[in-house]
Amino acid sequence: MNASYTRLAACFLNLALAGMAAPASADESNVDPSTWKCALCPFPQGYDTQTEAGTQYADGANATYGRYSGIDHSGVYAVASASGQVRTAEGTYANYDLEQLGLASREGYVEGGREGRFDLRISYDGQPNRLYDTGATSYQVNGTTLTLPAAWVPAGSTQGMRALNSSLSPLRIESDRRTVALLARFFVSPGWTAYGEFRRQEHDGTGMTSASFLTEAVQLPQPFDYVTNSIETGIAWAGRKASLRLSYTGSWFEDDSDSLTFANPYTPIVPGSTQGQLSLPPSNNLQQLNATGNVQFPWATTLTYGASLSTLKQNAAFLPLSTLPGQGATQPTSLDGDVHLSHYALGLATRPLPKLSLRGNAAYDGRDDKTNPLEFAYIVTDTFPGGTALTPRYSEDHVHLDGGADYALARWLRIGVGGKLDEIHYGPGQVVNWTQDAQSWGRATVTPIAPLSFTVKYGNALRKASSFDAAALPPEENPLIIEYNYAPRDRVFSTFTAAWSITAALTWSIEESLAKDDYRSSPLGLQSTHEQRVSSTLTWSPKDTLSAYVDAGYERLFNLQNGSTGDTTTPWLAADTDRFWNAGVGGRWVPQARWTVTLDYLLAPSYDNNESIVGGTQQAFPQNWTKLDSTRLGVGYQWTAATQIRFRYIREQYNSSDWSLNGVGPATVPNLLALGVQPYRDSVNAFSLTVRYEFGRDNASSHATP
Amino acid sequence: MQSPLRVGSAAATLLLFGVGMYAHSADGPPQAQSYYSDQGADTCLGCHSDATVTEIFRTKHARPDDPHGPFGHGQLQCEACHGPGGGHVKAGGGPLAGMLDFGAKATTPAPVQNAKCLGCHQSNAAHEWATSAHAASNVACASCHTLHNAKDPMNNATAQIEACTSCHQAQHTDLSKPSHHPLLEGKMACTSCHTPHGSSSPAQLVKNTVTETCTSCHAEFRGPFLWEHQPVAEDCTNCHNPHGSAQPALLKLRTPFLCQTCHEGAGHPSIINTPQGLPGGSPSAFLLNGGCINCHSQVHGSNHPSGRALMR
Repeated sequence: MNASYTRLAACFLNLALAGMAAPASADESNVDPSTWKCALCPFPQGYDTQTEAGTQYADGANATYGRYSGIDHSGVYAVASASGQVRTAEGTYANYDLEQLGLASREGYVEGGREGRFDLRISYDGQPNRLYDTGATSYQVNGTTLTLPAAWVPAGSTQGMRALNSSLSPLRIESDRRTVALLARFFVSPGWTAYGEFRRQEHDGTGMTSASFLTEAVQLPQPFDYVTNSIETGIAWAGRKASLRLSYTGSWFEDDSDSLTFANPYTPIVPGSTQGQLSLPPSNNLQQLNATGNVQFPWATTLTYGASLSTLKQNAAFLPLSTLPGQGATQPTSLDGDVHLSHYALGLATRPLPKLSLRGNAAYDGRDDKTNPLEFAYIVTDTFPGGTALTPRYSEDHVHLDGGADYALARWLRIGVGGKLDEIHYGPGQVVNWTQDAQSWGRATVTPIAPLSFTVKYGNALRKASSFDAAALPPEENPLIIEYNYAPRDRVFSTFTAAWSITAALTWSIEESLAKDDYRSSPLGLQSTHEQRVSSTLTWSPKDTLSAYVDAGYERLFNLQNGSTGDTTTPWLAADTDRFWNAGVGGRWVPQARWTVTLDYLLAPSYDNNESIVGGTQQAFPQNWTKLDSTRLGVGYQWTAATQIRFRYIREQYNSSDWSLNGVGPATVPNLLALGVQPYRDSVNAFSLTVRYEFGRDNASSHATP
Repeated sequence: MQSPLRVGSAAATLLLFGVGMYAHSADGPPQAQSYYSDQGADTCLGCHSDATVTEIFRTKHARPDDPHGPFGHGQLQCEACHGPGGGHVKAGGGPLAGMLDFGAKATTPAPVQNAKCLGCHQSNAAHEWATSAHAASNVACASCHTLHNAKDPMNNATAQIEACTSCHQAQHTDLSKPSHHPLLEGKMACTSCHTPHGSSSPAQLVKNTVTETCTSCHAEFRGPFLWEHQPVAEDCTNCHNPHGSAQPALLKLRTPFLCQTCHEGAGHPSIINTPQGLPGGSPSAFLLNGGCINCHSQVHGSNHPSGRALMR
């Protein structure tokens, strides 16, 4: 391995030397632009600012509507934003852009520096995630310990939990992700840039998890508080014929809570099994060195290269084997997890002839899990001893090769061919040693008249695998199943695209694709998938003051799988068909200088049909469906040169049905104490009225280039 | 005696060094029979003074104090990108006379447009542009980037998504699927995961692999865990469809069916689930709410010593 690294390093050094061999040269010798004054150039100086402030009222808002905006309840919200810039005659500047300041989804940045010398930027991004506001739980949350009320009555099933209804409290499953980033860049010379970035992401809130006590399960609120700090620093260089970037990335994920302890709401199956304990994601860190760049040769030939070496480590303390009495600390006390990741890539693109372009890439990705396997006499669900097991470790070597050629046969016809080879070699303990996926395709682009072009692409792929080693399966697994990421597969695919500029103002495009996967060589498990997609857009822009669009899309996904409860029993089949539509229409109209009107309408239904077939008898599940119906209207009135009044109206109706949630309350399932969350629904009318004021823009002034 | 490896390496160095010298000495094809204007931008602005042009003075491309930018001292101003405009001026406007125009509908071929952009932007954006899918498809930089706008729409999530999905139309449908990343809401952009300027990873991802890309935000699933789930360590897209899904959590299929595409072990994993397991029949914990996840909640991996079946 060391020798190959050495060869690789020598190769990269050679490439870099080749590119750095000569200094850049200029080709503008017939002109002296230093005498050009740029007296008419309106370079901005001083400051300018655009601010917007107002209120928004959302009627009917809930978690469904406000999932990513934070507008998650009916009420009044502040609307505030500001952007602008400050510049001096010496070339120092600052820009800022702050948006949605009144919401949890607020974001913005402030940057400044000296033109062409350095810049600094600090940014913030808030990302709410309101998942469910329809849940309820009897658990009381104390940090990462979940307790039940003192009056709780354990029972063998949820129906017997007599204190359940009286102890339920509403529960919101929601979180907030906040990211702060600080970036500094120094433009050392026209070719050299040095940069460094620190990024801190905080993600906290209440999630939803679950656990079991052998045959009984419970859904749990999971408080969490994650922090990921990361830094990236590096240098980048570019000459006229080569470039190089070297960087270091470090990322540290921290989770202060290593466990979630929860009371057993059921009558314990074994004495002492009164509580359970889940492990939470362990703190971990990733360190990575990267090099990327290119070297350019004659005949429009470019060689790109990349290399990356990483280590991924995790050494959080283990929890006890069980919460059952008498369980002490485990040995060893932590994993000392150590995974080495490597990535090497070379690419070549060339146009040896004006009509011919060639492209090829080769990449290697290695995952070498150096963690020592450990053996544990494990306890099943804090209930009873389950035996002894060795922790499996997963390593793989993945090689990708792909290439293609395009040739312009005629002014109206361009053809292309290409192929791809993906080969994965798996480490010990996996059911196959390798898989090899070979793909080929052909493509033709026809342009019968200049504004109209069609492209047709067709290809197929065959994935082969080494012999299947059933001995590598867990002892309880059916040896007739080959997991679909290992299984041999036949794939055919095709795409059709067309674009037509019907007139200067009217354009139409369409994209259609088909893909079919066949896994029939696996006796059980996934058998086949079909995917069909078609999307089309029509745009009309007769003048600067008027534009409109109509778009629509359809997608159908089909999966067929089978299974069997044993070698001698009748196999069963399960089929799933997902269908989506989206249809949108909208536009922008400036009826007169002071008024601007925008309108967007979106209708997006989806349907999911599940069927089970046992012994030839088809049993259909109720259809799952969703329907998004959204209208957004914006009206702007330019009151004065600096002041604009804006009105926005949003009407959204979202409805859905999901058989896994419909009517499933905390006690619906005898052996599942659920949170009772229900499918997403909303019906919202939201209005906002804001004033946008702009000042300082007149500071833009013409002046001569120094 | 030198080893063949060393000799080969030295020969390769010399060869590449020589090629590099040649490459630097050959600055490409000579400019067309054209020449620069007399007064640079002042000549251009004499005719092209409308806001769609002058908005560039509010961008980084038109900073008089940036010595490396097109409008820095001694630089070629408008003609730094558009090429020599003397012939165009002499003709009284009209034909480009060897100048470059930019954008998807420009008459200048995309590789020629892009070469002009890459002349300055190799180091910060485009090391791997040449071997990217976009370069192979003759996509021009200016098909997406709008240089004369004070704010390049590619820096705005919503505008960027609109630009990407104007070609990648299937992904436009994905945006409004019931389970989706927050692109439609403007909290993520296509470039949160993909780098349109090229990369050596599959689907031009911002990180080396799918898993590395996903865990750059979802670091809680990065591991390594004591008990790993092999498909998770290999590739998140084994189970998830990151562009959108009708199933919860961007899953390709809903549980228990997704899990049963790989797990058919003796006992409950091999049992067919039917509508009889819904409320009104015999409500089943194998089917309702999280299905398999109701018990095997640590499906991304467990660090619990008793987490063998990903239940702790």
